[in-house]
Amino acid sequence: MFSGNNPHKDVEVSSPPDDTVSALEFSPPSVPQTFLAAGSWDCQVRCWEVEASGKTVPKAAQNMTGPILDVAWHDDGSKIFMASTDKSVKCWDLASNTAVQVAAHDGPVQTCHWVKAPNYTCLMTASWDKTLKFWDTRSAVPIMAIHLSERCYCADVDYPMAAVGLADRGVCLYSLEGKPAEVKRVESPLKYQHRCIAIFKDKKTKQPTGFALGSVEGRVAIQYVNPTNPKDNFTFKCHRSAGTTGGYQDIYAVNDIAFHPVHGTLATVGSDGSFSFWDKDARTKLKSFESLEQSLTNCAFNHSGQIFAYAMGYDWSKGHEHYNPAKKNFIYLRPCFEDLKPRST
Amino acid sequence: MGRKKKKASKPWCWYCNREFDDEKILIQHQKAKHFKCHICHKKLYTGPGLSIHCMQVHKEAIDKVPNSLPNRSNIEIEIYGMEGIPPEDIKEHERQKTGGGKASDSDDDEPAAKKKATSALLGPGPSSVTPGILPTPMGPVPPGMYPGPMAMNPMMPHFMQQRMMMPGMRPLFPAASIAVSTPSKPTFPAYSNATISAPPTTSSAAADAKENGDVKPPAANSCPLVTATGAGSKIIHPPEDVSLEEIRARNIKYRPKPKPDAPSTPVSAPPMITPSTSQAEHNFQVAAHMSAAVAAARQQQAAAMRRPMPMGMMGMLGQVRVPVPVSMPVPVLPVMPQFNLMRPLQPGMLLPGGMMPMSAMFPGGVPGLPMMQPRFR
Repeated sequence: MFSGNNPHKDVEVSSPPDDTVSALEFSPPSVPQTFLAAGSWDCQVRCWEVEASGKTVPKAAQNMTGPILDVAWHDDGSKIFMASTDKSVKCWDLASNTAVQVAAHDGPVQTCHWVKAPNYTCLMTASWDKTLKFWDTRSAVPIMAIHLSERCYCADVDYPMAAVGLADRGVCLYSLEGKPAEVKRVESPLKYQHRCIAIFKDKKTKQPTGFALGSVEGRVAIQYVNPTNPKDNFTFKCHRSAGTTGGYQDIYAVNDIAFHPVHGTLATVGSDGSFSFWDKDARTKLKSFESLEQSLTNCAFNHSGQIFAYAMGYDWSKGHEHYNPAKKNFIYLRPCFEDLKPRST
Repeated sequence: MGRKKKKASKPWCWYCNREFDDEKILIQHQKAKHFKCHICHKKLYTGPGLSIHCMQVHKEAIDKVPNSLPNRSNIEIEIYGMEGIPPEDIKEHERQKTGGGKASDSDDDEPAAKKKATSALLGPGPSSVTPGILPTPMGPVPPGMYPGPMAMNPMMPHFMQQRMMMPGMRPLFPAASIAVSTPSKPTFPAYSNATISAPPTTSSAAADAKENGDVKPPAANSCPLVTATGAGSKIIHPPEDVSLEEIRARNIKYRPKPKPDAPSTPVSAPPMITPSTSQAEHNFQVAAHMSAAVAAARQQQAAAMRRPMPMGMMGMLGQVRVPVPVSMPVPVLPVMPQFNLMRPLQPGMLLPGGMMPMSAMFPGGVPGLPMMQPRFR
C-alpha cells in the first residue's frame, strides 16, 4: 500500500478510480460482507469487498456512456443503481454482472436513491432537467414524475422522508408513505448554492426528523422538519482556512455530509481536502483533521458505523485549469466508531 | 440618441468586443492582449502572425487567440485593428449598438485604458477571486490543450467571459443583463460594458451549455454569482453560480459518448466493443484497470443491449444532436464517438493541431467532412 501521502495513516482502497470519485456508498446491512461502491468521472462504477482487516479486494466494475453522478444500493445488496450525465440510470445486477437501463431523464441525472417502503419499492431519480421521478425499474415510464422549480443539486432518502436540494436554494421535502407526495418546500437557511444534503433521524423515535444541508460557502445548516423550538435550527461554519492567506480567508465548499448510523453524529468533507466530525445535538466539533493535498469529494459510513470512507480527488472548485490528470485519486478507509461517539453520554 | 450613433462608429476589438475611442489604442490593445506570445511575450501584429511565430520560434501550436471570446478565437483570420473583421460581424455589432445597446453605454466616455489602471486598485469584490482559479467557460476545450496564455494573462477576457454566461441566460436583453453583471462593475467597468454588447458570444455559450444537456442556469433574479459577502474572505468556487458538476460536465472530456443502442441500429453491432471505438475510448479516457471484470461486463452489457428496450430509444433521441442525422446508416456508427468529440468545437475554432490528426479521427470514410468548413481541412 502506498499510503505515504495520507497524513492520517488511513487505509487506501486498492485500484482506485482513474478520475475523481463522484459517489461513494457502502452495501446495506442485508449482505453479510461489506462492499463499497464508488462512481467516478471516468464513467465507471467500481465495487470492492472490504475485509475486516481493512484490506479491499476489487470485485467488479461497470461502465456507462457518461460520467457517473450518483450510485445507490438496492436494499437486498444484490444490485447497484448508477446515475450518469448520459441522462440515464442503470441497474447493475452484481450476480450476473449485467446492467440494464431503468430510468431516463432529459438531462444528466444528479441523484438516484432506492426507496424501500413496507408496501412498495421504487427508484427515485432527480435530474438537471428539473424533474424528480419514481420508477418501478421494470417499466420505461416512471410511476410518477414531479416537476421541480429548478435543477436538482442534491437529494437524500430515508424512508418515509425524501429531501431534494435545488439550484434555486429551495429544499423540497417529500413523504414517501403510500405514494410520494410533497410535504413542503423549505426556503434555504443558507445564502449560497446547495451542494449536499443528508437526512437525520430522531434519537428516540429513530424516524427521520430533519436534514443537514451543505453549501459552497463552507457552511452547514441543521434543519428540523417540524422544529419544536425555532432555535433548534442552526447553521455552522466549516471547511474554511484557519488563518488568512493574502488578507483573505479561503472558504471552501462542503462536498458531502454523512450521518453516523449508530451515534447520529455527522461527518463533513470539503473542497479544502479536510474532513471533520460533528455532534449536532451538542453543537460541537468532535474532531477535525488536517487537509489532504486534494479536495475530498464524498464520504460514507458503513451500516454498522465502524468504517468511514472518504474519497480524494480534484472537484473542479478552482476551475478546469487546476485539473491535473496526473494526480491520482484515492479512497481511504478509517476506523471511526470511537471518534464519532458523542462526548456527553 | 445622437450619442448612440457616435458610439456605433467607435472602433472595437473583434476578439473581445471591447470598444475603444481610437483605433491606435485598439491596435495597442490587440497587440498586448491578443497577439502577444505567451512564451517570450513578443507582441505580434495579427493572429496568424502569432501562430506562425509560436510554431517557428517555440515549436508550439496555438489554436486560439489568447483572451478572446469563445466564438472569436479563430487564429486564422487576419485582423488588424478594425481591418479584416468579417462583414457579418460588423453588421451584427452595429445592429447591437443601435438596437439593444441602450443600457450598455452608460459611462465609457473615459478612455478605457485609464479605467483599467484604476480598476486594478479597487478593493475586494469579484476581483477577490484569484486570477488563477478563474474557470474559462470554454467547456469544450480540454484542459492542457491550451495552457499557456491562460496562465499568462488570466486577468481579463476569460474572467469576463465567465460573467458573460450570465447575461446569456437572459438572451439578448441588455437591460436585464446589466442588472446581473452589476457586481462585476467596479472591477472592469469598461469590460463589463463590452460584455453586455456581445450577443453572439452569449448565445453561443448558452447553446453550448444546452448541447451538453445542461439546463440554463438561473435567471437574473436569483443570485447568479458566487462571491463572498465579507470583504475578508473568498469562496473557492468558480464565479458562476452553477454546480461544480455542471461546470465539469461541460468539459469535452466528460461529454457522454453516444449510446450504442441507437434507434436506427436497434440490435446489431454495439460500437462499444468494436476495435475502432475502443481506441477512441482509449484516447480520451484512461484505460480501465480491472480489465478482466470490465471485459466480462462489456460482453454482458452488449448482451443486455440486444434485449429490446423501449427506454433505450428515449435515451437515444436525447443524445442524437444536430450534426448527426438520426437516420445515419449502420456502418458509420462506429465512427460516431470520434465525430461526437468534434462537435463541440465551434465553427470558428481550429482543431487542436497536433493532438488529433485528421487521419486518425476518421480511420475510414471521413463521413463528417462535407459538413465542415474548409478551414478544418
